[in-house]
Amino acid sequence: MVSYLVTILSLVAIISILGLALNLQWGLCGMVNFGIAGFFALGAYTAALVDLAGAGTLVATVAAAAVCGIACALVALVSLRLSDEYLAILTLGFGEVVRLVVLNEEWLTHGSLGLPGIPRPFWGLIPEEQYEYWFLGMLGGVILLLFLALEKLLRSPFGRAIRAVREDDVVAATLGKDVVKLRVKVFALGGVIIGIAGAFHSFYMTYIDPSQFSAILTAYVFMAVIAGGRASNSGLLLGSVGLMAVIEGTRFLKDIFNIFDATQLSAIRLILIGLGLILLLIFRPQGCFAEYRLKIKKPEKEPRKASVQTETRTT
Amino acid sequence: MTKSGNLIHRPVKRRTVLRGIAAAGGFAAAAPYIGYSHAAGEDINIGVLLPFTGSQGAYGPDMRKAADITTKKINDAGGILGGRKFKLFFEDDESSPTAGLAATKKLLEINKCVSVIGIWGSPIAMAIKPVLVGANTCMMVSGAANAITEGDTKGLVFRYQAKATNWGSGMAQAMVSRKYKTISILAQQNAFVIPMIDPAKKVFEKAGVKVLDTVIYNPDQPSYRAEVQRIFGANPAPDAVMCLGLLTDFVSIVRETTRMDAKSKIMALSIMADAEGQFLKAVGPEAAEGIEHFQPSPPLSSPSYKKFVKLMGADENAIFLFASNTHDQICTLAMAMEKAKSTESLVFTKEIRAVCNPPGELVNDVVEALGKIRAGTKINFDGAGSSCDFDAQGDQINRSYAVFKIVGGKQVLQDVIKEPEVAL
Repeated sequence: MVSYLVTILSLVAIISILGLALNLQWGLCGMVNFGIAGFFALGAYTAALVDLAGAGTLVATVAAAAVCGIACALVALVSLRLSDEYLAILTLGFGEVVRLVVLNEEWLTHGSLGLPGIPRPFWGLIPEEQYEYWFLGMLGGVILLLFLALEKLLRSPFGRAIRAVREDDVVAATLGKDVVKLRVKVFALGGVIIGIAGAFHSFYMTYIDPSQFSAILTAYVFMAVIAGGRASNSGLLLGSVGLMAVIEGTRFLKDIFNIFDATQLSAIRLILIGLGLILLLIFRPQGCFAEYRLKIKKPEKEPRKASVQTETRTT
Repeated sequence: MTKSGNLIHRPVKRRTVLRGIAAAGGFAAAAPYIGYSHAAGEDINIGVLLPFTGSQGAYGPDMRKAADITTKKINDAGGILGGRKFKLFFEDDESSPTAGLAATKKLLEINKCVSVIGIWGSPIAMAIKPVLVGANTCMMVSGAANAITEGDTKGLVFRYQAKATNWGSGMAQAMVSRKYKTISILAQQNAFVIPMIDPAKKVFEKAGVKVLDTVIYNPDQPSYRAEVQRIFGANPAPDAVMCLGLLTDFVSIVRETTRMDAKSKIMALSIMADAEGQFLKAVGPEAAEGIEHFQPSPPLSSPSYKKFVKLMGADENAIFLFASNTHDQICTLAMAMEKAKSTESLVFTKEIRAVCNPPGELVNDVVEALGKIRAGTKINFDGAGSSCDFDAQGDQINRSYAVFKIVGGKQVLQDVIKEPEVAL
């Protein structure tokens, strides 16, 4: 039981890292990234290839982060003059290009046969039966670091500037913000995070093939961000846990209800997940948690000088 | 004292009560599972991982049915190991390796399955192999990719299917025997199709058949017009085209060839050109006329296969390419466990070859086989999907292959090819 939960939590953790990246790119800066699955594949394959070449898992993770970051920066640069919908199409296209390259460049990626036997970090140093727990611990550590860093960023002048770009880039530019630079930076930073997620996916699965990076993954990440509340990192973590709880929890339906057979329940399960999302969007379209905003305290309470000062400094 | 007194008047108290009620409700809802594994102590839990949704969803239901009826047959006859019953746990792999991995973990950890069988897609088998082998659990797959049985499997991995490389050479030989002079290959980029191409080319080369062109296309394309045009519209057009892929892409390909009135003959795989009758339904008998298809098949004329078709309640000419192997997987588990007197994978897998491979008395009925094992007779199980013989790495040997032709909207058996002629 515990080991199963650890597996599910590890998958949640990887989706959460992707969610943090999307929350940065789309939630904070309004740059829609429909190519998450593609960037994720890029990170996973980079990490796997570097790792299999014997460079070690740390170098592999750094390489994956760097390659994804650069790829994202390039995509953001290419889409300089494109507004929202066009960026969405461009990223979708980029994701598809990565998928096709991975599928067809057999000399590099083994095509549809995939890459087996990817070495894991600290494998051999930790007793095999405890490894899953350690791995989850590592993922937890990565999420914690990313979460704290992103929360810091969200509350920094940079965070406010990119939110201004999201709300209205013309206004932001008028106020002297370099919109292009901000967008490229945010997209590249998101790419770095996606690369890290990709590397951990490779290490976790130890076998990767193109079918693991299908478009449904992008949908799951968007679902997690929307359910949690756009631009709220803690909401996102809740969203991805909730999403995975529904996806995996529905597996148990058929162990309880005997009226449907396994074939029917498999279909019903996916229908239920869809239905849940629709209901969520109808009744709570803003998601579970609201975005962090600076507040000026009401006059009857002791005003907190610090936050007011920050406010005045940046505007 | 005053502190606790204050607590009573706080609204928090009400929430605590509500939380308590919710937790109790949660436990009540969870109770069925919590008690479950204990109550099922006598049962032997078997995990069946199949595709019910996603691109491979069409292949799961028949395999599920076969697993159910075979289990019922064994259980009704008194089970194994002195009355213990098989209990099946089905999980959907959603045609995805990641979902397959989560499902496998559930089967292992929650349902305490002693073996996981079914496992249709090769990428899924590859993704869950490290987990199952790591957990010392027997794994029976239906996927063809060679890599599944390669490496250190601790003797736990068994393939109820021919290896992909053998499909390739077998199909090429069937095409050579039809005296085609030139051939082109049109194949999907897919883990089990790609390994077929090189062995096929070797056979063609040896027989002096010229391969004009090889085109590999991506799965899920909206159209295959460009690929079809290049292969079938070539000048000169090949005598025949070897089509390797899945049902949906083949339907589009055949529609294109009909539209352009292509002259080249087609040989495809049975999962494309038969697929439980779905191909004929999709393109109609006229467009399908004359298409030949090849597949590692059950020994169609054998008594064991006929018995299985009857058990499935199907028409006597029905071809179950995968369900018959699921039947064999359950039978093998029952026999090996009975022989080893154990449900431990590392123990009973050592007996699989003892009950399946020759020498021994040929038996094709699992209940009869179990009786003979108890009586101490050496048996050689003859399965519904194949003769069910395994080599040292867990791959099936002595398989048969069949070539069919679609004539007047019907599948007509042309040749049955035996493995020794296929393997190079």
